[in-house]
Order: sequence, then C-alpha cells, then structure tokens
Amino acid sequence: MVTVKLFGTLRLDSGVREFTAEADSVRALYPQVLAEIRARKPDSAVTEKTLRACLVAVNGQQTTPRARLKNGDVVYLFPAVAGG
Amino acid sequence: MTNYCGYMGKVLVLDLTTKKTENYIWTDLDREKYIGGKAMASKILYDNLTGSETPFGPENLIVIATGPLTGTGAPSSNRFDISSLSPLTGITSSSNCGGNFGHYLKKAGLDALIIRGACEELNWVEIDNGEFVFHDAADLQDLKCGETQDTLQKKLNEAHGRQIRCGMVCIGPAGENLVRYASVISGERAAGRAGMGAVFGSKKLKAITAAGDAVPTVFDKEGAAEHRKKWVNYIRSHPLTGDQLPKLGTAGLVSSMQVHGLLSTRNYAKGQFEEFEKVNGETLAEELNVANNGCLSCPIRCTRRVPVEGKTVKGPELETLGLLGGNIENADLEQICRWNYELDELGMDTISAAGTLAWAMEANEKGIWKSGLAFGEREKLSQVFDDIAHRRGIGAELAEGSRRLSKKYGGQDFAIQSKGMELAAYEPRRAVGQGLGYAVANRGGCHLNGGYLVVLEGLGLNIDGQTPRGKADLCMVMQDLMEAISCGGQCLFTSYGVVPGFMIRNPNGLLQRAVNAVVPFAGPAVRVYNKIPEVACFNIPLIPYPTELYYTTGMKMTLGQFTRAGERSYNVERAVNARFGVSAANDKLPKRLTDAPQDPNNPKTKVPLEQMKKTYYRARGWGKNGLPGEKKLRRLGIR
Repeated sequence: MVTVKLFGTLRLDSGVREFTAEADSVRALYPQVLAEIRARKPDSAVTEKTLRACLVAVNGQQTTPRARLKNGDVVYLFPAVAGG
Repeated sequence: MTNYCGYMGKVLVLDLTTKKTENYIWTDLDREKYIGGKAMASKILYDNLTGSETPFGPENLIVIATGPLTGTGAPSSNRFDISSLSPLTGITSSSNCGGNFGHYLKKAGLDALIIRGACEELNWVEIDNGEFVFHDAADLQDLKCGETQDTLQKKLNEAHGRQIRCGMVCIGPAGENLVRYASVISGERAAGRAGMGAVFGSKKLKAITAAGDAVPTVFDKEGAAEHRKKWVNYIRSHPLTGDQLPKLGTAGLVSSMQVHGLLSTRNYAKGQFEEFEKVNGETLAEELNVANNGCLSCPIRCTRRVPVEGKTVKGPELETLGLLGGNIENADLEQICRWNYELDELGMDTISAAGTLAWAMEANEKGIWKSGLAFGEREKLSQVFDDIAHRRGIGAELAEGSRRLSKKYGGQDFAIQSKGMELAAYEPRRAVGQGLGYAVANRGGCHLNGGYLVVLEGLGLNIDGQTPRGKADLCMVMQDLMEAISCGGQCLFTSYGVVPGFMIRNPNGLLQRAVNAVVPFAGPAVRVYNKIPEVACFNIPLIPYPTELYYTTGMKMTLGQFTRAGERSYNVERAVNARFGVSAANDKLPKRLTDAPQDPNNPKTKVPLEQMKKTYYRARGWGKNGLPGEKKLRRLGIR
C-alpha cells in the first residue's frame, strides 16, 4: 500500500489531495490516480498524458516515473512550477 | 522634454529642506542607454553620490523612477522603483513595487522624482499635476499604512471637494522609527526590501500622493494594441503565467521547493520542512484564498486575498510563507497570513524581519543572545513585530537586522544574509547558481537581483543544481535581462514566457531532459553572447520586450541592445556601490551555506562560491576585485 499525494494545479483542478493505492511502480499508479480523479470529478480534463508529464517524488526525494515502490512509500505528483 | 513617447519627459528634484523643486536634466541619450526605472535611478545615484554620504543623512537621495511602459497599458506594466542608499546594507539599493504610485506619478507629469534634504517635522507631500504642496503630518504620526492611506484619501477628497483618484506611497511606524528594513507601501503592495521606508523616515517624509491628468502617449497605437493582444494571449495560455500563478500565486512553489531541498527551514539548517503541506500554496488556495487580485494592467493576477481579522487583505508570497513557516518552524498558515498583514501595516519587509527573527531564535538556542525567542514560537510574535516597529525592548535590537546583531553578539556563520540583506526563502545549497546570485547581487541577498537561477535549477527547468558548471555565465545573462525588463516598468513574472509552454508542461519529456542536460555545458556559448550581445541584431517573439518598447516609445532596440542596457544597469549600480566600499570581499555568503553541506552524506550540497565568483567576474569583464574598471565603464558608455 502506498500513499499518493497530488500537488499544484493538478490537486486544485482534480479536487484530490491524497489517497492510498496498490502499485509496485510510479507508472503503475497512473490508472489508479486517473480513476480517483474521475470518481471525484467525472468531467476532469486530466488524462494519463497529464500524469506522465508530472514531476515525481517518492518519500520526499525527486525521482523518475520509472521508480519502483514498496509498501508504505509516499508518492508526490505535481505539474511543473516556476516563479517567485 | 523628450522625442520619445511613453515617457513624460520630466524628472524633478524635490528638496525637502528648502521645499523647492528644480528640473533634473535627463536626455534622450540617457533614455536610450538606461531605459528607465532602476537603471535610471542607479545612474542618477552614480552621478550624485560620492561615497561620503550616509543612509540617514539629509544628503542621501531617494529616487522614485518609472519605466516608459509604466501606465501605458502594456502587460503587467504597473511597476515603479525606489532607490537610495540603504540603511540595511550601507550601499545603494533599490526596491521594486507593483502599487499604483508609478502610474499616477506619470499622470502627474513626471518620469521620476529625486528627493534630497529632510523635513524639520513629519510631512506628507501632495503632487498635483506637477505642483508640490507640503502638509504637516503630525496627525499621521505612528499611523499604520492602511490607516495612513485612508486618512490621506479622505483629506484629498475634502480639500478638492470631490473623489480624487491618486497614487500613494507611505511609511508606517517602522519607517518613522528607522527600522533598517522598513518598507514603503503603495496601496497593499510593498517596496519591501533594503529599508527604503527608513530613508523616508529619516527625511521625516510620511507619504507622497500623486495625481494629475497627463497621459503617456504611445508611438504606434495600432501596432502596440496588436502586439499587446498577442502577448496577453500568450501569457494567458502559458502554463505558468496563465495557470499556475493565477491559481496558486507564488505560494505554489512551496511544494516543489520542498521536494528539491530548496525550502529554507530552521534558519537554513535544512532544505525541507516536515510540515510543509500545512503552509503550501495548495492549502492556501483551498482553505484561505477568497479571491485573486493583480496590479493594474496585469493579466496574471498572482496576488492572493485572504481573511484576517474580519477583513480581506493581501495574502503572503512564497518568500513570506517559507521564512515565517519552516524557517522558524511554524506550520500555522493563518498565523502567517496575520503576520504578513501586520508587517505590511507596520511597514516592514517580511523577508528581512523573518530572517532576523530566525537568526535570533538560533542565537537564543545557542546561548549567544538570550532574547527569549525560540523556534516554533507563535504566541509572542505579533507583539515582537510591533516592538521592532517601535524599537521597544528586544525589538530595538531586532530592528538592526541580522548582520549587525551577529557582529555584536556572534553567530555570523548562521546570519543568513549577504551584504547585510537577508536572503529570500530559496535554500541555495541545492541550487548553487542561485547561491552565486545571492552573493554577487548588487543589493545583497536578493533572489531576483541575483539572477534567479533557481528557476533553471529545479523550479522550471531541472538542470543540475549542484554543479557550478555554466552557472556564472547563466547568472550574468539572467541578471542583465531581468534588469532590462525591470527598467521598462514591467513585472518580471512576464518573463516566464521566455521558456516555451510546451517545454514547461512536460518535465519528463525528451526535450526538457535534453535541455536540462545541455544547459550547464552552454556556458561558453552564453559567454559569447554576454560579451557581444549585439550578435542578436534582431528580436524574437519569446522575448517581446524590445518590440513593446518600440511600439510604445518609438525607440528601436534589438534583443542584443536590450541585453546590453541590462548589463549597463548592472554595472552602473556596481560602480556606485564601489564608492561605498563594495568589492569581491563583500560578495559572500554565511559559512553555513558555503562550508556545511546541507546533506552531511553529500559533500556537494554546499555552495562552491569562490570557484563560481572567479568565473563570474571574468564573464562580466570585471577585475579580480569584483569591480568594473575604467575601460569597462567607458565601453558601456557609463563614463
């Protein structure tokens, strides 16, 4: 079981803050994230392509979508950001 | 007078001692070289300060300067600049503001106002169509900024028998009591940094109002309208300026900074704050933001509006969230919103106030200075801020800033400042180019004057934040371009469009990954451009500023000439600071950032400053002393 947390405009647009899922890699999470978003907002414009373009962090450290997951991991997904 | 549109063609000197004004000669050649805003102010300071002046002396000058685009309706063009000898750093500095004073200063018929001398008693000055009237401000003494502006509006309305549309700048109690990081407030926006409010206070100048009927002309109205329409559409379609900033404001960066180890935490001892989710932009947007707001003529509207004490007020920016959040180990977002409002009302820079506070908390913990302030403290801080503004108790000492305090009590290694100015919330040990920028920035520890390389090192692109490779040259080109953009009167947030949206949208895509890998190796190519920017004898749509300048003013400028104007601005500011003792020795960071790795297991996670500085000086064509020589100044047309 891993915890998935969404950030940035992805979170605001989808209304999903966090949920738990079963997956052994970040990539394998995408369909579950999409299902969670659709359950909350059926008309959401988020697609799997949107998720693939997100930056990924596991347990607070930036990584790639290829990263493997283990039980208890916390996955952050957020779209690109800039500026202050 | 001027042959260029956009400008009002008038710069005035206001002598507060004699209460008289005189014209200041500013030619079209000066306009071509310096554009306006900050560069114009730096040149005026360069021509008038000798190095013997003191920040609080009557001989110090305040220059309030607009850009040619200010008030013309160009996108995000409401900016103006306040420059002076800073009481925080002891060198010249500038502070840029999005309030509406610049717009109305031009309506009053002025491009810039130079203030010298000092009033005998607290005064406020009314500018009406170029006429100056002094008013006694005894009844405004100790009033906070909101009440001051409300009172002035009422006075103007009563005096003129109608609703007066005007712009204002004012100071609060912090400025009156010479807090070294006191700000100047215009509406709800602050010229926050470098203690410009304290210079106002030293001159016993509580406020200035500006009103008038003048309108800046536009050289090619049709061309400008067409260009602006395209530009605004581009800004609105870009993922950063059209989506992220409107939805999350600058606060949207907190989460990304956390992941990249860039979020200042516990007085910069760490780069990640465990409770960041309680104080990030998403939580602010979901729980507290009641509306978006923006400066005049801005399509981005990044300002948050939050409830405080039953009112709706300006919300905190990223820097304030970081520095009054993780950096003092506070996870109470509502409290940050309240402090942000209180600091604005008192007229105090949130960055320097919070940075000084974090130093005091660590000094207290280490037993260096027993102030009674501890990390995680929340209850006392509103009172502490009020005490700083009135220089009461420990507030009198905190009002001096972290450099002076650490010099007095020790703890300089963890006084997170450069040239006396406290750093913004970006922890540079994971973005060493940003670290270089903080150190070499003319005005001190400023993220923007430093070139804002962190946007390439994790907060937009993802180039290696630990490598020093290429950073010096990139730092220079970013500094110069940002200088030039600012001189025109536009907000720097418009510049996010320089990185195309398709690249930003897909950080995992092949293109961005390739760019991330290549950019650090592009140093030599960037160096060539830095040396001879005139090779860019054209303009490109991604950098639309020179084209906008042309349509508005009639001043023809290529991208290369525009960059050169930015370089000139940077050098003239450096040259005047040299008179006040600045050299390479002042381009430094506290040892915490240069000597102690953020991650004890990774020795790379610190700023290799000396190595980058040498390359930076070479890139700039400066001597080993970190200063532009006579030849360089002549080549830039400064002398």
